[in-house]
Amino acid sequence: MIKISIVKREFPLFMSISLRIAIAILGLLIAVTTASFIFQQDLHTTLSLLTTSFLNLNVLRYVSVFLPTALGLIIAYNASLWNLGAEGQIVVGAMGATFIALFTPLGNIEYIGPATSLFFSSIVGALWAFIPIILKIYFNVNEALTTLMMNYIAYYLVDYLVYGPWRGKSVYGYPETDMIPIPCRLQRVVGYSFSLYPLLISLIFIVVIYFFLYKTRVGISIRALSTSSRAVELSGISSIKLAILAFILSGALAGFAGGTEVLVYHRKLVPGSKIGAGMGYISIMVAWLSSLNPIAAIVASYYVSTLYIFSLAIQIGSINIGDAVARIVIGAIFLLTIVSEFISKYKIVLRFEK
Amino acid sequence: MGNLIKIVEISKRFGDIVALENVSLDIGSGDIIALLGENGSGKTTLAKILYGIYTPDKGCIEINGICKILTSPAEAKNLGIVMVSQRPQLIDELTALENISIFLNTSVSRIHKNVENLLHEFNIDINVSKPVYTLSYTEKQYIEMIKALLAMPKLMIVDEATTYLPLSIKLKFFNMMKKILANGSSIIFITHKILEALEFSNRIIVLRKGRVVGRFNSDSVTVEELRKTMFEGFGETSTVQVTRQIKDVGRDRKTVLKIDNVSVLDEYSRRAVDNVSLDVKQGEISVIVGIAGNGQKELCEAIIGLRRVEKGRILFEDKDITKLPPSKRIAMGFHYIPEDPFRDGVFLNLTIAENLKVFSQRRIEKEVLLETISKLNIIPPNPIVKVYKLSGGNIQKVAISRIFINIPRIIIAYNPTRMLDEYSSKLVMSALTRFAALGGTALVFSEDLDEALAMGDKIAVIARGKIVKLYDQAMVERAELEKVMTSYD
Repeated sequence: MIKISIVKREFPLFMSISLRIAIAILGLLIAVTTASFIFQQDLHTTLSLLTTSFLNLNVLRYVSVFLPTALGLIIAYNASLWNLGAEGQIVVGAMGATFIALFTPLGNIEYIGPATSLFFSSIVGALWAFIPIILKIYFNVNEALTTLMMNYIAYYLVDYLVYGPWRGKSVYGYPETDMIPIPCRLQRVVGYSFSLYPLLISLIFIVVIYFFLYKTRVGISIRALSTSSRAVELSGISSIKLAILAFILSGALAGFAGGTEVLVYHRKLVPGSKIGAGMGYISIMVAWLSSLNPIAAIVASYYVSTLYIFSLAIQIGSINIGDAVARIVIGAIFLLTIVSEFISKYKIVLRFEK
Repeated sequence: MGNLIKIVEISKRFGDIVALENVSLDIGSGDIIALLGENGSGKTTLAKILYGIYTPDKGCIEINGICKILTSPAEAKNLGIVMVSQRPQLIDELTALENISIFLNTSVSRIHKNVENLLHEFNIDINVSKPVYTLSYTEKQYIEMIKALLAMPKLMIVDEATTYLPLSIKLKFFNMMKKILANGSSIIFITHKILEALEFSNRIIVLRKGRVVGRFNSDSVTVEELRKTMFEGFGETSTVQVTRQIKDVGRDRKTVLKIDNVSVLDEYSRRAVDNVSLDVKQGEISVIVGIAGNGQKELCEAIIGLRRVEKGRILFEDKDITKLPPSKRIAMGFHYIPEDPFRDGVFLNLTIAENLKVFSQRRIEKEVLLETISKLNIIPPNPIVKVYKLSGGNIQKVAISRIFINIPRIIIAYNPTRMLDEYSSKLVMSALTRFAALGGTALVFSEDLDEALAMGDKIAVIARGKIVKLYDQAMVERAELEKVMTSYD
């Protein structure tokens, strides 16, 4: 008789890194084979499409959204607070940035315009995250549900603005605002649709957040929150304040990403689902793929962005199928990530006994 | 006597920590074996390997002549091995009865009577139909013991679970285990208390740093011999002495913590603490003793802020703190050594250094951190080891480190030396007495009368939620305390 048992184990660092790399490569293989099978394209062509996606600098256009958003999620998830609302926080962040750029005189001032826009988008994102965490703390409402629901509220809020009061005068009836003033736009790298500034800021965020989570008392306490909030209280730190802090930081970073979308990419406010475009959800995967480590988030966001580009590339011609394939691939990789978490913590022992 | 189980050359490492190295042991039927060793010597690891919680890196367990590696407690249980863990392994949301019935794989109704009978024999009063989270740590241990006894194991492993129980209950437990032994079973019990090992076992195995360093027959070995084997090459144990100043029983000492007619409810809105008043004075250690489940858990949680005070006030240096959250109280200078260090005392998924950083109210220097680790003799003395890898005693040391790295104004402690070996518990007790001698204040909840008598300036007895007697330390004998504690049942 075969006996299966599951035994705890611990992987050395080197092993868990190799495991993740293996998962990543496996993910790419899945992506290529599914795509080439469904589109009846030979493997070689699909593979070269993937390679171009990898080397395409436009990957950075997605990195600059995924990276800050995932960094924020990493803070919340380290505290075992399940923020699934990055999508909505991105959308309201975009709304905040548009407001400053388009409807205040600040928008016409160079440097100060974009800076305040991004700052304000972070504030709006933080406020959006503040609501569910307060509901959780004082009314014991599950934050995973509220954050998820609030994504739709964010969509419709922005839709209302672009169909209604904020609709531009020169957009021929399209649901969007006027373009934001030129001084408020962040300059793109020539020939591409990303800007270096948000990327540089994100890199600074990585260092700051790593230092915060691993070296400061408050940051370590946020990580401690996942083990025991009572023990955190008993160390003299308010677990309520920590939870709020973790959540609004995570909202602020997503809001920041939303702000850069307006300042760099759209340069106007468009309907909510076009701003978020599911990137807030994909950031959740980036956060887990990096094992909630801010430094690993660079690699994880680059990897996921590549797949994102790849999925866009194979969509050409048949958008609906392409999108479905992209989702299958991304879902499969997420599944692999979860399995790899399991494999790194447990081993399965098979034994044959008579 | 035939061999029941043979442990064959077992080694186990956790990362770069060697927990066990080439440990072999024959367990004959009818044996009562004491595994003796200081904190972190590998006792619990060995027990967990026997119980299938850990798998060994090398070696095996020979049962009925077949070499096996157990991979789960379920497998161990099928072979008749049962363990009473150091930390109660119960499902908090289920009732005690449901927990036991799951373990025994039978229905609640079938065992209800047996459980009640056993509790009655132990003279313990626990409502077994309440969810387990409402029970105190010690009460959970009773449930664990009953669970194990009812399983009628061939090999019973007791991991320090009995060490801190009242003597009468401990005796009854061992007597009941002997009934099982009559059927050819055997017992391994783990302890760091030499006297306990001598009293209850017929063989003693001494572990040090993961190796067997001595095998003795209990009737032909002395305490000194055992102590030497346990601690050899490890430093003098007698260097730490619990010294106490002769204090004039101060009439004019300042009251630091005033508990003023406090009543506290338990999870079922029963009054667990009933109109308790107590003045804790500066420079004194007040100890509240009592049999577990008499309201001390609730009172302690109310004082530290984890539980709402229903009636009455708690004053700290004349400020009303009744409604402050725990974190505010800690920031005011309270320091709390919790009842359950695993849950409330440490962060298991963080490193030792990170734990200390969170405990410390101010920035902690690296030197202080390393010094504290070495002073408390935390094994391994490596600050970047995650706390869940440490043994129970070492986890308690990490939890207690908070009183060494902060400047507390008052220490609230619940069984502070539970799980600590002789050296470490002396260190903690002397730290507390020195703290009091220097003008600090401490309120200790204890189920260990020796600890209470060794430290307490005032000793209060709690029974049924009321403080029934209050003594000055010099005026009371152990026997008197035991009598008062038990006479309210």
